[in-house]
Amino acid sequence: MNDQILPIGKDNDGKSIPKFLWSELKPRGKWLTPFNIISIPVICIGLVIIVIRFWKGLGAVTNLSQEVPWGLWIGFDVVTGVAFAGGAYVVTFMVYILNQQKYHSIVRVTVLNGFLAYVFYAGALLLDLGRPWNVINPIIGNNFGTSSVLFLVAWHFMLYMIAELIEFSPAIAEWLGARGARKILSGLTIGAVIFGITLSTLHQSGLGALYLMAKDKIHPLWYSEFIPILFLASSVFAGLSMVIFEGTISHKVFFDQISEKNHKAQEGIVHGLAKICAGAMFAYFFLQLLVFIHDKNWQYLNTPMGYWFLMEMIGFVILPMMLYFYSYRTNNQLLIRIAAILTMLGVILNRLNVTVIGFRWDAAVRYVPTIMEIVVTMTVIFIEIWVFRWIINRMPVLRESPEWAKKEN
Amino acid sequence: MDGFTYNNIFETKGIEYLAIIAFFLILVPFWVLLNRQVKISKQIEKALGILTSSVLKVPQGLFFSRLHTWTHLEKSGVAKVGMDDLLLHITGEVSFNKLIEPGEKVSKGDLMAEINHKGKNLKIYSPISGEVIEANPLLSKRPEILNEDPYLKGWMYKIKPTSWMADTNSYFLAEEASDWSRQELERFKDFLSSSMGKYSPDNANVILQDGGEICDQPLSELPDEVWQDFQKDFLSSKTLCHNANCFRNRE
Repeated sequence: MNDQILPIGKDNDGKSIPKFLWSELKPRGKWLTPFNIISIPVICIGLVIIVIRFWKGLGAVTNLSQEVPWGLWIGFDVVTGVAFAGGAYVVTFMVYILNQQKYHSIVRVTVLNGFLAYVFYAGALLLDLGRPWNVINPIIGNNFGTSSVLFLVAWHFMLYMIAELIEFSPAIAEWLGARGARKILSGLTIGAVIFGITLSTLHQSGLGALYLMAKDKIHPLWYSEFIPILFLASSVFAGLSMVIFEGTISHKVFFDQISEKNHKAQEGIVHGLAKICAGAMFAYFFLQLLVFIHDKNWQYLNTPMGYWFLMEMIGFVILPMMLYFYSYRTNNQLLIRIAAILTMLGVILNRLNVTVIGFRWDAAVRYVPTIMEIVVTMTVIFIEIWVFRWIINRMPVLRESPEWAKKEN
Repeated sequence: MDGFTYNNIFETKGIEYLAIIAFFLILVPFWVLLNRQVKISKQIEKALGILTSSVLKVPQGLFFSRLHTWTHLEKSGVAKVGMDDLLLHITGEVSFNKLIEPGEKVSKGDLMAEINHKGKNLKIYSPISGEVIEANPLLSKRPEILNEDPYLKGWMYKIKPTSWMADTNSYFLAEEASDWSRQELERFKDFLSSSMGKYSPDNANVILQDGGEICDQPLSELPDEVWQDFQKDFLSSKTLCHNANCFRNRE
C-alpha cells in the first residue's frame, strides 16, 4: 500500500524545540498516494458543507427534524466511534492492571487512537448541536444541566481526553527530546490509566443511557433499561476488534518503522486478543438473551424489524464469536481478521439500530441521512486518519523510543 | 411523561434463571475448549511421531545436568536421579543395566548405569556424589517405564548426597532447562546430519526430515558407530570441557 521509502522519524536531540517543531511541519512522503487522492476531495467538500451547516443551520444539510433530532452524526460518529475507542481502556487495563506485558507494544498506538477518536467525535458532536456554543455550559456552570446524562458525558469526555493525553505524553516528550518532562509524565501514567479506565466504564454506558428517555421512540427489540450495560459490554470487543483491524493496516503501511521484535509479536498479540473477544462476545450474547426474555420480545420476532434483529444477533454476534473461537483454537490469523471485521460491522449495526434505524422506526417519514451528512462523517474520519498518520510518521509510537528513554525504563 | 404502565417482572423470572444456569453450564466447556488449543498441536505431533521441543517434558523443579541426567532432592534428604526425556525420546525403548549397588559410595561423574537397545549401549554417569540408598526395582521388571515416565516412576537410583550444593551449582533449572533442552535438540539434529554424511548413505532413509522435524526415536535404527559418536558428543566429559564444575574424566 505504501510504496514510498520514508526516512524513519528522528526525535529531537539537542535542537531547540521551536526550531525542531518548525522542521517537523514539513510534509513527508508523496502527496499522491491512493488514500490521499480519495480523501483530499472528500475533506474539501466536507469542510465546505460544515461551513454551510453553521451558516445556514442543520436543516440545510441534514434530514434531521423535530421528530428525529439525532441522526447519523450522533449515531455513527459519536456513539459508534466511542465504542471503537474502547480498545484504549481495555488494553491499558490488561497491561497496567493485569500486568500482561505481552500487549505492551501496542499500548501507545491504541491510546493514541483512543485519544484521537474522542477528540474528533466530541468535535463531531459539536456539529450536531443546535447551539454548539452552549457546549461549554456543563463545564463553566452557566446552567450545568445536572439532570441530563449529557452532563456526565461532557465531563467524562473532557476528563478522559486529558487522561489519555497524559498517558500519551511521554511519547511527545521523547519526540521533543524533553528528558525531564518525560520523567515526570511517565510517573503520572499509572494514575492516568486508572482514572481513564474508571471514566470509560461510565461514559461507555452513559452514551447508552442517553437513549433511556426515548422509551417510546426506539423499537422494543432494541430499547430496554439495560442499554447502558449492553453498550459497556459490547465496547470491550468492539475496541479490541478495532485494535486488531487497525493493527493489521498499520503493520502494512508503517512497515519499516516497526522493529523486528514487534513484527514477530504481532501474531501472538492478535491471537491473544481473539480469545478475549470470544469470551466477551459470549457473555454479551447471553446478556442480550436475558434482556430479550425479560422484555418478552419474542412477540416482535415475526416482523421485518424482528428479522433485522435476528440478523444482527445471529450474523453479527454469534457468527463472529464462533469465528473468533475457532480461529483462536487453530491460530488462523486470516480468520481472526475476518472475525474482527464482522464484529465491527455488528457493533456499527447495533449502535445504528438503537440510534437511527430503530429510532422512530414507525414515523410516517423515515429518517434517512443525506449524502451531505455522509460526506461530513467521512470527512471527520479522514481528517482523523491524516492526524494519526502525521503523528505516527514523527513520534515514537510504532517505532522504538530513543536510547535515553529506553535506558530510563 | 407517558401514562402509568404495570410491568410484571416475575412472569419471566423462571426462564431468566434457566438462561443464567445455561450460561454457566455452557461457559465451562466453552472456556475449556477455548484453552485446549495448545495441547492439541502437541498431541498431533506425538501421534505423528515427530520429535520437536513441544513434545518434550521438562518438569520445572528438577536439576538437569549437561549429560542428560536429572536429579531432585526430596524432603527426606535423599536425592533421586534419572535420565531426561530428550535422551529417552532419541534412543527409543531401552533396557536398563544397573552398575552400582545400594551401600556403595559414588562420586559425581562415576559410571552408574548402562542403557541398551538391541546390542547398542550408552553409558550413563552420576550427576551427584553420595551413598546409594536404593536402585529402582521396577526398572528390571518393566524397563518400558523409563521411556513412559522418566521423571516419576522411571527414577534410577536414590542417593544420599554428600555435596549437593557444589554438585548442582552448574545445573539447569526451570526456564533455563527448557531452553537448554531445545538447544540440545537442535544440536542433535546437526549431529544426525553430520553422522549421515560420515556413515553409509542407507541410513538416510530412516530419518524423515519433514520440514526440519525428525521422527521420534531416531537413534533406534542407527548402527552402533552412531551410538558411540552420540556417547562421545552428548554423554561424556567431552561436552563439559569449559565448565569449572566439570565431571572429572574417569575414562
